Amino acid sequence: MITRFITDVTTRFNPFSARARSARLFLSFLPPTARASGMSITTQLLPRGSTEASSLRIKFKDGKEMQLDCEAMGIKSIVEEVDRHSRMLQKEADLAAA
Amino acid sequence: MPPRLRCAVPRGLGSAVSSSRTANRSAVLLLPSAPAAVAAPRQYATAAAKVSSFRLPADYVPPTKPPTARPSDTRKSQLLRTYTSLLRSTPLILIFQHNNLTAVEWAAVRRELRIALGNVSSEGTDSADVASRAQLQVIRTRIFDVALKIVEFHDPSKVAPTTTSALSGEKIQVVYDHDLSKAAYKAVQAATKGDAPLPESSAYGQISPLLVGPLAILTLPAVSPAHLAAALSVLSPSPPAFPAPSKKKNPGYHDLVAQSGFQKLMLVGGRIEDKVFDLEGVKWVGGIDGGLDALRAQLVYMLQSAGLGLTSALEGASKSLWLTMESRRSVLEEEQNGGKEGEKKEEGETKEESS
Repeated sequence: MITRFITDVTTRFNPFSARARSARLFLSFLPPTARASGMSITTQLLPRGSTEASSLRIKFKDGKEMQLDCEAMGIKSIVEEVDRHSRMLQKEADLAAA
Repeated sequence: MPPRLRCAVPRGLGSAVSSSRTANRSAVLLLPSAPAAVAAPRQYATAAAKVSSFRLPADYVPPTKPPTARPSDTRKSQLLRTYTSLLRSTPLILIFQHNNLTAVEWAAVRRELRIALGNVSSEGTDSADVASRAQLQVIRTRIFDVALKIVEFHDPSKVAPTTTSALSGEKIQVVYDHDLSKAAYKAVQAATKGDAPLPESSAYGQISPLLVGPLAILTLPAVSPAHLAAALSVLSPSPPAFPAPSKKKNPGYHDLVAQSGFQKLMLVGGRIEDKVFDLEGVKWVGGIDGGLDALRAQLVYMLQSAGLGLTSALEGASKSLWLTMESRRSVLEEEQNGGKEGEKKEEGETKEESS
């Protein structure tokens, strides 16, 4: 997953719900230096009885915000969706550098 | 007549005898009662042929190698066994998700945890023992999941014995109820068959959604709220109840490496005394003042006062019964006395009339 262009990750989920899976796996995909390189990651754990849907909000360097539906999407489709935008940004960055 | 081998055969001999004809010579040398062996070389062969007729029973199972459902000599199986024994012996387990911690961050996290737990307890006491045996370890999530299932659904006391042969050929009953056994495997399969959700009452059904992604567990060898509070204040501080150690007191905690390590650890739940708790529940257990002893004292006080109330209530019922009976008796007596006096008067009147 391309994480260079992500500036902000906000998640909310109830770990006792089976549908929090993709949100939790997304957090585990962020590289170890993510926070050091300026990405802000906020996680809010909901209490056990809560039925609120788990949410994942991602902000990119170009200002685009993504609100991903963790309930329905698996981790693969989330990564795909994030990478679709990140690749575009990478292309622009490569062109600017060249 | 073939030489008799009683059950006192040394263990090494079993394999030597059973394997093949090539081992005959050494087998003969090992046999204690072999007059044929020291006699003519011709009888050597006959004795050897007789020895080779000794076979292990077809259903003989070596006691050191009980049958298993999973291969017993792989790392994963042995890891599963360590997890099941950990789950059976550890009353307090906190489950963390760790998101790509580096080795130095792990070292810093463990160091700070050790310091915090050490501060709770004084040297040479039980609580120091708890602190020294607390462990934060990364687990293999899937294997831990299977171990949880085995611990919950496999009951070793319910496994029926199987019949096998001893070395001497007699039939014996042996119970194979270890965690890698077929019985354990079948019990778990039966309990989690199909896609039907497990009942809410089963601890595994509650904890299984937690077991996703990279996990680490903190194990404490006793339910000690003081130690739990110390661990919580380090690993997932929440200011009013479990404040993080101050910068002045513990500068190492506010180290950059340690802080980035703590940020990546996420407490998702806990298993305390076979019950599953979420973050709030774990905090609640950590917030019990004075630990289990205080709780026990509360319980004892409650029972005592309840007993006091009970005795007074029971006594009260009999007392009131006695009182009513007593008052009734006095009333009756009064009535009786009054009636007699009336009768006497009447009698007197009649006597007066008759006289």
